[in-house]
Amino acid sequence: MDHTQMLDIFTTAVLVRRFETRIVQMAMAGELPGSLHAGAGQEIGQIAAISALSRDDYILYGHRGLAYMIARGTSLTSILADIAGKEGATSRGKGGVMHVVDVPNGILGESGTLGGGFVMSVGVGMALKRRKKNQAVVYFFGDGTSNRGTFHESLNWAAVQKLPCIYFCENNGYAVSVPTSRSTAVADISARAAGYGVPGVLVDGNDPAAVHEVMHTAVARARAGHGPTLIEAKVTRLQGHYVADQQTYRPDAELVQKTKDPLPKLQQTLMDAGVLTDAQVAHIEADAQRHIDEAVAAVRAAPLLATEVALQDLYA
Amino acid sequence: MPIMTYSKAINQALAEEMTRDENVILYGQDVAAWGGIFKVTDGLYQQFGEDRVFDSPISENVMVGAGVGAAIMGLRPVVELQFADFLLTAGDEVFFKAGMWRFMHGGAFKVPLVIRAPSGGSGFGPEHSACPEAFVMHAPGLLCAVPSTPADAKGLLKEAIRLDNPVVYCEHKLLYAMRGEVPEGDYTVPFGKAVVRREGEAVTIVAWQDMLRRSLAAAERLSKEGIEVEIVDPRTLNPFDRETIIESVKKTGACIVVEEAYRTLGVGAEIGAMLLEQALPYLDKPFKRLAIPDVPLPTSQHLVNAIVPSEDDIYKAVKDLVS
Repeated sequence: MDHTQMLDIFTTAVLVRRFETRIVQMAMAGELPGSLHAGAGQEIGQIAAISALSRDDYILYGHRGLAYMIARGTSLTSILADIAGKEGATSRGKGGVMHVVDVPNGILGESGTLGGGFVMSVGVGMALKRRKKNQAVVYFFGDGTSNRGTFHESLNWAAVQKLPCIYFCENNGYAVSVPTSRSTAVADISARAAGYGVPGVLVDGNDPAAVHEVMHTAVARARAGHGPTLIEAKVTRLQGHYVADQQTYRPDAELVQKTKDPLPKLQQTLMDAGVLTDAQVAHIEADAQRHIDEAVAAVRAAPLLATEVALQDLYA
Repeated sequence: MPIMTYSKAINQALAEEMTRDENVILYGQDVAAWGGIFKVTDGLYQQFGEDRVFDSPISENVMVGAGVGAAIMGLRPVVELQFADFLLTAGDEVFFKAGMWRFMHGGAFKVPLVIRAPSGGSGFGPEHSACPEAFVMHAPGLLCAVPSTPADAKGLLKEAIRLDNPVVYCEHKLLYAMRGEVPEGDYTVPFGKAVVRREGEAVTIVAWQDMLRRSLAAAERLSKEGIEVEIVDPRTLNPFDRETIIESVKKTGACIVVEEAYRTLGVGAEIGAMLLEQALPYLDKPFKRLAIPDVPLPTSQHLVNAIVPSEDDIYKAVKDLVS
């Protein structure tokens, strides 16, 4: 991965972090519902994974954060409109932050029930395989979601059919309040790949170059018709499960927030390597702030969705 | 017009649609080389190859869920669930993924998926005998077809495959061997249009599939006694043709729903409520339901026979009502 790509990932991560922080502030102030499951701490891995895809690949995303859509190019305004239930919402008030959809950017939506993306990805993979255009689909999910039956059914059948599917697990050590060790029989989700005869790859989710590399390999394998790969990125969940989660179950929560944030570390790494300067950081932050301010202003000015929309969009 | 079985009519509909549109694929447990547990897909694997017709693992959740995923990408999957009861095994994928994916993403997708659900056919035990269409009718987003004749089996399935919405297509196991005339070629039956299978003035019976067959037999007996019943076959439960039933009740003043499913909150309950709301002035007699008492279906045939509405039960119910 070259320095330009690294800078792109950092720049997107800054935008995502600031945008989510702003959304949480607006939620705490009562202006938005507190439905966001913040992705702080996991953005770098998410963005780095997406950086290994082509524009015509597809993703089904997990519920933790907004990096997936922003990295693919979905506008901040439409994401914010989804949360606010305003005109311009991609799911027209039906799905909120959980169902942001942007087909031109390859975002096929999200299953509200965890692990629904597994079964959907198999069908998407079946369609892509028949198109013969070397496209792939990635499903992002958490360690807790790997305990759904859909994980097992889907990895098995995707492997049998050699589908161009990539399963990207973000293991942050917690399923809502329950630590992985109390819910999951293996320490590494990637070890489960052996049960389906597919490669299981463990990677540091805070290392963008490493994530990009393993994704690149998985994508190449998918395009070559060799079937799925299960990637597990170890990541850190900096915040609670949802906006108002006090994390009383997590005694080290404050310490984690202070010491485990990968974003300042990436910034330092890039500065040490001489590819990022203080002036550039200031510029990136100001640019992010401007985009966010514009989106907030646009959504504040937008009307609420008309109530008759509740009855629309069920049938084609 | 050719005579063929209900089962062959389904097979023909699949073959014709797969020939017409290469996006139609068919999969399920044992459907490929073996032709399905009920032999409905016999020969299709040989005709269309393993890319179009293939076996799935015993994994109902991914079978249905992958159908939704494939459908939003432009394929038109036909998924055979081995037994209609398994709609509940794959409940999330049927009711949430198939029924709601379009809605919860603001209409961004079409979901042209057909789930073939072999239903009814008492004697297979509590988890392999149900007619679960009331569950489907209750759930927003899912269309539901209940073909009762070989001709409808073909026409409704061809229509289902062409629709851009998910369809649960209930094919009744006891009707597979039923023979009847089936129009050749491009024959489709529109959803939401009930058909009057027999005309009469004494009472309106609403029934479909095996209960329709029993109702028609009971009607023959009643006719010999000078009682002419009118029988409405809804053909699809979503969309549901309320008008045809109301028009019939305007004429007869009475309605019996015969249903091969649990009584409480079944399709009959919905029809009764609909008549209360929209046709009360026309009802001269109490609305009546014949259905399975609220117990699961046993396996032993004589126990099944004791609780599923029979031709005799229908005959007596009409006699009670008109006397």
